[in-house]
Amino acid sequence: MSGITAVARTYLVTNLRERITLFWFLVFPLFLLTILTLIFGGLGSDLETTFAVGLVNSARANGGPTDFSSMVERAFVHLSSSDSPDRRPLFRLHRPADGEDPRAFLDREKDAVRIGDRALLIEIPAGFNEALLASVGGAGPPAAIAISVSGGRISSEIARSIADQVIAGVNERILTVVGRFDPSQALTVESARVGSNGRDFLYVDFLLPGVVLMAFFTAGLFGVPGTILFGRERKILKRYWVTPLETRRFLAGFSLGHLALCATQFVALYLLGRFAFGARVALLSPLSLAFLALAASVFLAFGFLISSLARTANAAMAIANILNLPMMFLGGLFFPIGELPAILRAVMLANPVTYLADGLRTALGVTTPMVPCAATIAVPVAWAVVCVVVAARRLQWGAEQ
Amino acid sequence: MAESITLRVTDLIKHYGSVRAVDGVSFSVPTASVFTLLGPNGAGKTTTLEILEGIRRPGGGSIEVFGERRLRIDRAVKERMGVLLQDGNFEPELKVREVIGLFASFFRRSLPIDAVLERVALKEKESALVRTLSGGQRQRLAVGVALVNDPELVFLDEPTTGLDPQARRAMWSLVSELKDSGKTIILTTHYMEEAETLSDHVSIMDHGRVIVDGTPRELTAGLGEETFIEFDGRGLSDVQLASLDARCGAMRSDDDLVSLETADFAGAMDRLISWAKEAGVPLRDITVRQPNLEDVFLSLTGRRLRE
Repeated sequence: MSGITAVARTYLVTNLRERITLFWFLVFPLFLLTILTLIFGGLGSDLETTFAVGLVNSARANGGPTDFSSMVERAFVHLSSSDSPDRRPLFRLHRPADGEDPRAFLDREKDAVRIGDRALLIEIPAGFNEALLASVGGAGPPAAIAISVSGGRISSEIARSIADQVIAGVNERILTVVGRFDPSQALTVESARVGSNGRDFLYVDFLLPGVVLMAFFTAGLFGVPGTILFGRERKILKRYWVTPLETRRFLAGFSLGHLALCATQFVALYLLGRFAFGARVALLSPLSLAFLALAASVFLAFGFLISSLARTANAAMAIANILNLPMMFLGGLFFPIGELPAILRAVMLANPVTYLADGLRTALGVTTPMVPCAATIAVPVAWAVVCVVVAARRLQWGAEQ
Repeated sequence: MAESITLRVTDLIKHYGSVRAVDGVSFSVPTASVFTLLGPNGAGKTTTLEILEGIRRPGGGSIEVFGERRLRIDRAVKERMGVLLQDGNFEPELKVREVIGLFASFFRRSLPIDAVLERVALKEKESALVRTLSGGQRQRLAVGVALVNDPELVFLDEPTTGLDPQARRAMWSLVSELKDSGKTIILTTHYMEEAETLSDHVSIMDHGRVIVDGTPRELTAGLGEETFIEFDGRGLSDVQLASLDARCGAMRSDDDLVSLETADFAGAMDRLISWAKEAGVPLRDITVRQPNLEDVFLSLTGRRLRE
């Protein structure tokens, strides 16, 4: 057994045997994945919910090519049908019964929206086809479709945004039909689906890569300086330096051991996410694995940086703690980052975690990219280089070598 | 035939700012002998050893080891030496067997793990975690690690500090065995009994310098034909002590131990006993002994080793 693998094995074994490191590097990430999935797992299924929507077409149907009101109606009817048996339709439509007075139906449905029984009420008004014809002929304002929503209700807001996109799609189709629009730029109704790659959105698919990165992050920022500096203070490292083991061989073994620790974390989290919570995200794809290796290496480099900046292990833990919160929460590990004040946005943009999380999720197809693809590799690599250069100059191994 | 020298140190220097930790130390260590650096804490023994072990850079001087002059202790030298650090430690979460295996993997050539475990009597503890070991067991593990590569040159820095008397005697017999098996041993200690019992050569260090060296017998012989008569002096008044000094001369009194140094043992005993009768002093725990290395250090520095 060469010294390198023995050092790697020592790193892995001691981190898994020590109760504190076992908790923070393995038990806690598993626990966090469980808790967050149980609490927020509903986020994804919300979007899978079928929205109850009222629909009234008051326009006079003429059956001809300018029967735009029927086109709009058909688009919504399409949303209320499911293309596969295991997928629920987005909308469940409520329409006036045969012979029912449209006015009475409208009043009843508005009340239903108000109390939350309906997410939306869509009304294609009388005279819609005529108004639309006039509009596309340049002789009038755009024809309006009336949508009633209940303010402040999330289901209402989501259903409305879906309806908006449906109408925008129909709008473009109409413009294309009448020769006013370049079809190559037409958006389609299908793009209104929330989720990714045509699959339904699951919060655990978003969360699992984030928790894996968090586990790597914790192991890198706390585990690396912990092992190096406690080892230096307790003269564990000093014992190595009176043997033929050189620091570069030690470093190779140490880094290998750290990556093995990250691999252990990954396997445990993957198994839990996949088999307990039904995550379908393709973390085992080569691109994803390459990104995970990059992330583990970048956090390892950060660990070396902290080890070189701190004089004592306790100081290193303090530095890691200071970096911990902003780097983790302004990196979008657990929740998507929305609008931020300028200063927090600056932190977010400087944070390598942002790029690693974004790149990994984009590679997995969980979210659409927030930052340019090249940056998801370039920024973390640049950070790693800076960390390694600083650490190589400053890090003390406890011997004058 | 000239005896072969494993290690020769000439004018070794290590200064930290204005502190002269090692200030021109020279000695040679013949192969298959035990060489001891004796001195009080802070004398520079450990710094000297750590330079020779390759974890401190010398500020000056030359080192010749295994017949070659070296600027630094490199990997090739470390392959052939074993080190027991004064303050070294092992990963608390490793098992005893794993520690030996880890260190064995650092060397091109190493002894079988079981042989090392048996050598330091830790075979039955091989699956115990380091953190569960007693102080003596840890020290045995450290010795095992120092011997894992079957070294030709062994450094033992304060090997018995903090050990109970039984463990100390076990360490002494181990050192003798190592020497008998042809290994060269460099030892530091501040216990003069240890130096006297184990060493072929002793260099006494103080303030970064070697103040005297030789075999233990040569060093004590330097004090002449003196004999020491000592007894428990607790409860004696200053007046009583002054009268003793006036009667017998060459009296010292510290740590409640009254000590008379004399070349005329019979005369001194006569005077002491007549003084004791007059003063009514019981002369508890009276001992008579020949000079030891402690006395050598005391006569050279005016201080005791363990002050």
